Amino acid sequence: MAWNDPQWGNKSGGNKNSGPPDLDEMWRRINERLNGMFGGKGNRPEGGAPDAMPGGGNLIGLLAGLLVLVWLASGFYIVDTGQRGVVLRFGKYVETTGDGPHWHLPWPIESREVVNVDQVRTVEIGYRTNVKNEMLRESLMLTDDENIVDLQFAVQYLIKDPKDFLFVDRSPEEAVRQVAESAMREIVGRNKMDFVLYEGRADIAARARALTQQILDRYKTGITISQLTLQNIQPPDQVQSAFDDAVKAGQDRERLKNEAEAYANNVVPRARGFASRLKEEAEGYQKSVILNAEGEANRFSQIVTQYAQAPQVTRERMYLDTMQTVMNNTTKVIVDQKGNSLLYLPLDKLQQMVSQPSADSLSQPASEAASAAVPVVPVDPRSRDAFRSRDREDRP
Amino acid sequence: MKINFAPVLIGLVVLAVVLSGSMFTVSQTQNALVFQLGEVVSVKQKPGLYFKLPLVQNVRYFDTRILTLDAADPESFITSEKKNVLVDSFIKWRVVNAKQFYVSVGGDETRAAIRLKQTVNDGLRAEFGKRTINDVVSGKRDEVMRAIRTQADRFASTLGVQVVDVRIKRVELPASVSENVYRRMDAERKKVANELRSTGAAEAEKIKADADKQKEVIVAEAYRDAQGVKGNGDAKASAVYAAAYGKNPEFYSFYRSMQAYRESFKSKSDMMVLDPSADFFKYMKNPRAAGGK
Repeated sequence: MAWNDPQWGNKSGGNKNSGPPDLDEMWRRINERLNGMFGGKGNRPEGGAPDAMPGGGNLIGLLAGLLVLVWLASGFYIVDTGQRGVVLRFGKYVETTGDGPHWHLPWPIESREVVNVDQVRTVEIGYRTNVKNEMLRESLMLTDDENIVDLQFAVQYLIKDPKDFLFVDRSPEEAVRQVAESAMREIVGRNKMDFVLYEGRADIAARARALTQQILDRYKTGITISQLTLQNIQPPDQVQSAFDDAVKAGQDRERLKNEAEAYANNVVPRARGFASRLKEEAEGYQKSVILNAEGEANRFSQIVTQYAQAPQVTRERMYLDTMQTVMNNTTKVIVDQKGNSLLYLPLDKLQQMVSQPSADSLSQPASEAASAAVPVVPVDPRSRDAFRSRDREDRP
Repeated sequence: MKINFAPVLIGLVVLAVVLSGSMFTVSQTQNALVFQLGEVVSVKQKPGLYFKLPLVQNVRYFDTRILTLDAADPESFITSEKKNVLVDSFIKWRVVNAKQFYVSVGGDETRAAIRLKQTVNDGLRAEFGKRTINDVVSGKRDEVMRAIRTQADRFASTLGVQVVDVRIKRVELPASVSENVYRRMDAERKKVANELRSTGAAEAEKIKADADKQKEVIVAEAYRDAQGVKGNGDAKASAVYAAAYGKNPEFYSFYRSMQAYRESFKSKSDMMVLDPSADFFKYMKNPRAAGGK
């Protein structure tokens, strides 16, 4: 219905730029086209006008010629880069033209439509302009396992075939929206929620794109989908917190496991360290015990050789040597019991007397010695009393 | 020299009127019916320039591009499990037989659309009644659409139109059912979350217990080995001692006793209460005492 459009003004505007320079060329083309069309009948009133010009030369003839020129020039049009022109002759498709200047027979014989084919157009489904601006009616979809997901996506498309785009569907761009939504719902409906939400994202987009393209091709819309991008897939708001918690639970689980691994990595190597310590210690002990034994055995062997030569003397000397050392180092109380009289021995007092001179350096050896030779002497007065009472008990 | 323009002008005007009344074009997107006194005399399906008799014949155009019929509100259907679902669908259709289209609905697209809508809805109702929700949502969706398309197309030919496609867009549960779905989804996620947490705790416990076990085993094995090594040392030492001391056991006893005395009494805090009759003091009491006892 292009000839109903008020295009006349636009065309004469375009004529000003490209018309004048090659009028001869233009005139030849007009003649060719006219002859091609009407099979040389050429009896149209407009065809006669130029012939009248040379003979007349009056104002009316000039005016008529000018009018014809303007009319012819209205067939000029320029197709920009990224556009295609579609030319119709009496409503019938003739040709598709690429970028550059073109001419077609003027109204009412031919008309044209210019379509922008390289411009990427976008349809947003489930939202408008911003993902925050949700259209729940479009975005909520049922999955195979009868769960509901909230899915927003955008479809980008180009016009592949301007002829189909113009003449087959009355509203091809609206068709993209409807088909894309229907295709996406079909794909989502065939899959389980977990697949749609997590591992299957890329797959879903690819399949929805393929299905959309397939359906659009069946309708011959002349549109090609360049991209289908999922903007957002999530569970519906009503259950969002539960889903988040499940994700958190997954992380908790990993955290617990990592903590346990950390514990294991701490405990086991330490145990190994301790084990090697035990082993080393045992080996050290083994070596030292054997070496000690060898040393002592060696010493004894040598002494025993000497002893065999003079047993009595050696024995006596050794006894006395030992007793001398012992007596030298210990506190001695010599009591002759033959007197038959009762003797009071304040052992504890004696002990104190001995230990006082060097109390600080004596605490350790004292206790050691105490356990070996004499009963422990506590400082507690009560037990001292007990000790005394026992002494008393012993006396009778 | 002087040209009389009046007859030429009149002739041109008459020609223009006659031509405009006898020519018409059919566009790429149209079909046209030529009527002669109300009767259809020809159908123009190809685009181009056509002629007709002026005044007696008139032309009607019909757009043959594909139209979309998209319902504003979802329709409610009942599935075979007696569940209500809300369904949105759209119909793609076009006029293919302009004459039939004119005869049956007077060439009115809206009327045709209403009749198509009814047919499709009847078809959907029948198909949904045979199937479960799951069928229409996933498995058999395609099949449902195809069945309805075929059926609608058969009916459409009586209107002179062709149903290019019928597609289901939304299959939705009513709001009250949706709430139940949400509640179920919520419960399912909680189940999953709890399971994740508890299996996590269980696995962590297992790892820890395993570590503890390893620790115990490692230490115990080390202890066992250590004790073995120590015992081995003790045994060897004993053998060495036995070999050496075996040469003179009686002397060993004496020698070892002397060593022990020396080691045992070496502090001033060791108090010895001695009887002078001890062997050690024998010369203290009697310088002439005989050696030995």
